[in-house]
Amino acid sequence: MSAVRSSETSADSSIRCERITKRYAGQMVLRGVSLEMTRGTVLGLIGRNGAGKTTLIRILLGLEQPDEGRAFVLGEPSLGLTDATKQRVGYVPQQPDAFAWMRIGDMLEFVGRQYPRWDSDFVALSLARWQISVDRRLETLSPGERQRIALIRGLAVNPDLLLLDEPASALDPVARRDLLREIVARAAETGTTVFFSTHIVSDLERVASRVVFLHDHRIVVDAALDDLADTHARLTVPAGSPALSASQVAGEVSRRRQTDGSVTLVIARAGGAEWPEIVAAPGARLDALNLEDLFIEIAR
Amino acid sequence: MNADRLTITPSATEPIYRQIGSQLRRLIASGQLSAGEELPSVRDVAVQHAVNPMTVSRAYSQLEAEGLLTRLRGRGMVVAQSAHAILSPEQRLARLQPQLADIARQARELDIPARLIVQRLRSLLEDAE
Repeated sequence: MSAVRSSETSADSSIRCERITKRYAGQMVLRGVSLEMTRGTVLGLIGRNGAGKTTLIRILLGLEQPDEGRAFVLGEPSLGLTDATKQRVGYVPQQPDAFAWMRIGDMLEFVGRQYPRWDSDFVALSLARWQISVDRRLETLSPGERQRIALIRGLAVNPDLLLLDEPASALDPVARRDLLREIVARAAETGTTVFFSTHIVSDLERVASRVVFLHDHRIVVDAALDDLADTHARLTVPAGSPALSASQVAGEVSRRRQTDGSVTLVIARAGGAEWPEIVAAPGARLDALNLEDLFIEIAR
Repeated sequence: MNADRLTITPSATEPIYRQIGSQLRRLIASGQLSAGEELPSVRDVAVQHAVNPMTVSRAYSQLEAEGLLTRLRGRGMVVAQSAHAILSPEQRLARLQPQLADIARQARELDIPARLIVQRLRSLLEDAE
């Protein structure tokens, strides 16, 4: 996961972060984050509020500068993206507030002129499906409507790489499902690479092929979602078990002491590898975890 | 087959590709999917259920490796001619489950001891051999 990589960017890599560290006014936001994403991956980034998800996305887009490390998007350094590359990237911010004074129709037309692959049929269809009139001004929209407009705008550029920051936070369940289907259709048909942050775990479980979990400003889990049940598990060890004398269990991701004195750990192993010996200790219990369990177990 | 015949539960601990695989195995074992029947495309299943396309194709590839599905040029995935024979006796037995459950219920209602039912069933099976 955090292996040193050469600075040559492979043609297949859509996103690459090399040991990114970022502080705001002395406060740590990201600590040594390394990540590489190949084309066609749908990656879900989870983490609690304030874990650094938005900052990571903004660094990828070159909207912020890391204190240490480097980011690359579609083979170019994030801090020097050419217009040609920017046109291949769709971005949906968490709180879209640009062009608030404009009418929806004017804004979409204005933005569309800057993108050669702009799909005006998609825009018209989406506006109709979501029943949004082009004559309204953006500032009059509800948060949910504003988020829909931002999604239409981000998808209409037919991006090779789509970056979505909490795209479903203000959507109702029907609109959310529409969005997930759209993401899936694009991944299936055109191999669009999708990087989205969310704290709606069930959305991520459906559409993502890979999950990255940001906690305490660093990546604590980076796994293929299909293999998660094989690679991660919860281990419960009874109170006072001598098996826990080791300061760190092999593959330990997190550790939590329960009120009854027992200890629960999240442990990880490579696909096909064995669990550490401690799982056979007297009274120890190994449970399968779904993503939400994992999230809560680590983030609590 | 229609993509909406599958049920997907994202929050289950069973990964989605295995959920798809075990449902298809059951449908084949119970004869609800017969040899030569076409499966929905990876895209259709993915979009219908809003799940990752690679997850769907992993399920299909696994059943293909097991010999239950065959990839046909231009038609996508179909149930293999030999699919039925590949399934274990237990999986084929699953197809008789409703009838067996019905017999068990009626035997209880008629107050017939289990021993007699098993005896009769055995002699029927031996006659057939």
